[in-house]
Amino acid sequence: MATDTTDVTEGFGQVSRSVGRLFRYLLLAATLFGIVFVTILLVYVANDAIQPLTADPGWHLTFFLALVLPTLAAGVYVYRRNDEALQTGALAVGLVAVALMFSGGAAMIFVDIVEPLTWLAFLVALAVPSAVTLAVVAYDHRIPFTGQLVATVAAFYLSLFGVPGPLGAVANIPPVVPGVFGLLAGVPMAPAPWLLVVLTVGGPLAVLGGRLVARERGRRAQLLAGLGVFAISVAGGVVGPTFGVHPLPATVVASVGLVPPVIYAANVAVNVPEERVGLLLPATIVVGALVGALAVDALGFAGPQSWVDWAFLTGAHSNNADNAGFYPAIGGSILLMVTVAVFAFPVGVGAAVYLEEYAPDNRVTRAIDVNISNLAGVPSVVYGLLGLGLFVTYLGQSAGTVLLGGVTLGLLILPIVIISAREAVRSVPEEQRAASYGMGATKWQTVKNVVLPRSFSGILTGTILALGRAIGETAPLIMIGAPNVKYSLPTGVSEAASAMPLQVYAWSSLYAGPDFYNKVVPAGVVVLVAVLLAMNSIAIVLRNKYQVGE
Amino acid sequence: MTENSPETTGEPDGGTTADPTNEEMSIETDVAGATGASNPATTPDPVIRSRDLDVFYGEEQALDGIDIDIPENRVTAIIGPSGCGKSTFLRCINRMNDRIDSCRVTGELTLRGKNVYDDDVDPVALRRRVGMVFQEPNPFPKSIYDNVAYGLEIQDVEGAHDEIVEEFLKRAALWDEVSHQLDSSGLELSGGQQQRLCIARAIAPDPEVLLMDEPASALDPVATSQVEDLIEELAEDYTVVIVTHNMQQAARISDKTAVFLTGGELVEFGDTETIFENPEHQRVEDYITGKFG
Repeated sequence: MATDTTDVTEGFGQVSRSVGRLFRYLLLAATLFGIVFVTILLVYVANDAIQPLTADPGWHLTFFLALVLPTLAAGVYVYRRNDEALQTGALAVGLVAVALMFSGGAAMIFVDIVEPLTWLAFLVALAVPSAVTLAVVAYDHRIPFTGQLVATVAAFYLSLFGVPGPLGAVANIPPVVPGVFGLLAGVPMAPAPWLLVVLTVGGPLAVLGGRLVARERGRRAQLLAGLGVFAISVAGGVVGPTFGVHPLPATVVASVGLVPPVIYAANVAVNVPEERVGLLLPATIVVGALVGALAVDALGFAGPQSWVDWAFLTGAHSNNADNAGFYPAIGGSILLMVTVAVFAFPVGVGAAVYLEEYAPDNRVTRAIDVNISNLAGVPSVVYGLLGLGLFVTYLGQSAGTVLLGGVTLGLLILPIVIISAREAVRSVPEEQRAASYGMGATKWQTVKNVVLPRSFSGILTGTILALGRAIGETAPLIMIGAPNVKYSLPTGVSEAASAMPLQVYAWSSLYAGPDFYNKVVPAGVVVLVAVLLAMNSIAIVLRNKYQVGE
Repeated sequence: MTENSPETTGEPDGGTTADPTNEEMSIETDVAGATGASNPATTPDPVIRSRDLDVFYGEEQALDGIDIDIPENRVTAIIGPSGCGKSTFLRCINRMNDRIDSCRVTGELTLRGKNVYDDDVDPVALRRRVGMVFQEPNPFPKSIYDNVAYGLEIQDVEGAHDEIVEEFLKRAALWDEVSHQLDSSGLELSGGQQQRLCIARAIAPDPEVLLMDEPASALDPVATSQVEDLIEELAEDYTVVIVTHNMQQAARISDKTAVFLTGGELVEFGDTETIFENPEHQRVEDYITGKFG
């Protein structure tokens, strides 16, 4: 091939990349398409809900100076020092936000749904037979398995129900001896509810926190650290009333909302000295927010006229948009999620473990496999129909209860839980199983000791993401007859409950008006999305921790 | 072989079972005599014996008529090129092949006279008597203590686990390195430490036979030499069967060597020294001198 010498002196020439470049930007556009539109919508909705522009400019300036600037400065400083510390600090900030939200939910449960005394009675009634079971298993291997099973079941039954319990009710025998649960729940002279919360929630957290923080400092330091953590829970109940907060919710917020971030921060400060500087970030934010709040109060700057305010979060629906609240819907959603988790988690994980570890590789298994994937794609309204047909029409349950909604939503997310849990179980390395079997472990021992512990955080992540799907579902709840509007919290699983997406739907359809459209609906959406993000952030943190551990 | 066998004789030749493979038995008796000082009561009865053992994966034959007698309290090395079925043979001994659906075994493989493929043999119970160490170090993501105690837990071994864990970490020459961090995860150790941890885990429930599937192939030279020293010590109390790619390793640590060649056949089995210095078959010599494989 004859090559022109002038070409060589000019270089090698150019190869066109314009098509490739166009392709690349199209891919980028495809990637950002959904994110951009949802972000725009959320900004728009959040603007409607919170209305930041209605605040005094002085209010914005104060918070900018007290909160935003110091936070940015602290962030840059920490990043320069140690960028891993920045992650630690960011995690602490997230933990504060998420824990405070959860403490709100927990406070709601203790104030309006489950009395602390009932909660304590239930815990003790579970703890006593659990201890009996452990004793039976630990102290005598000679008891045959059936004996152990009978003893265990009997212990739980007696503790929870007494003699003769529900079996007696069927046979019309009057109760003779109450169980532990009955005894405790009926105690006439119980300590104040907030003390019970301190005991049942603050106590275990204090033990865990103390052991975690001072794990390398010996028993005495662990005890002291635990007492310190415990003091925070107690302080909630003692200090709360001075600020006009009832001691019960104050204790719950202190135990559930403050204690976990404090334990996390203390753990970092004591055990990870090189990342200690990261704690500057949450400290700046907390102090900045407090200083800002005090300053705007002192200077008399009015804040934004947000629709997401205390009255909205704690009030019930009203036909007047100004008074409309979200409280029953939030509580209904929380109860629904608890029910869904209690139902879908064990069933889904059980199915996943069976399919991965036990099921023979044959046509039946493959058929089940394909159909579980298909179930994940069945429209949610069809699950609503199933709930209505099966539970209401056929089994005669009353429509729209928490139990019914929970089971229906549980069925809806069951395929997702199964698929993600299978993924987690499958990710356990085959060598680990081989090691266990090679030691002479049975399948059950291998699953219990090796497979489940190793895949647990993956399973949990998948379940939380699936719960995130359930919390936003509206169609199945409409189908099973959940009330669009409820004026009070349900106090048990057999009462009808509304849910957040359902309430938002009701506002935008039944009560449609400019005020509801422009203010109340956005406020509801903001709360719903915030709860969803909090749940997903837990899943993401768990997943990252899991991947680091590998 | 040579460096760890004090020249002592006087071991009675009696106790040899009436066995058709006379040549192999005579070699075995010699070996028993050579290293018998540490264990004078040993009879040369094979612990593991296979006769006409065939293994198929689906249609494909992986092992073809294996006859072998593995002596007690010796290191028996199995060498051969990739795909010759040496790992398959090892996994027959503790029936780990049962976990592969397409795997089919015919013939006889006995452990102390009992065919492990009999219908009344529980593979789980079998594996409690036959420990196994794998190619990749595979400690559980649990604490070092829990790793060693795993076999004790699953087998409901009574008594003080603390002492057993300490004893076997010492046996595995790991105690001095990890005694201060028994609660930290087994995955935090180095590769060589992890493999010794796996060995401690395998021997803690006190098996009779220890199977090792290329236990040092994923390790660096220093860790390899530590593991090799450990294997030689273990042979005082355990019957060790080790699969290895590394012929020098087989020559260094084993008392007897079996050479598997492509096609899943056992070409030659005998005293390690004989195999390496004066093999009977040309193919074995070619393999050992590196002409193929």
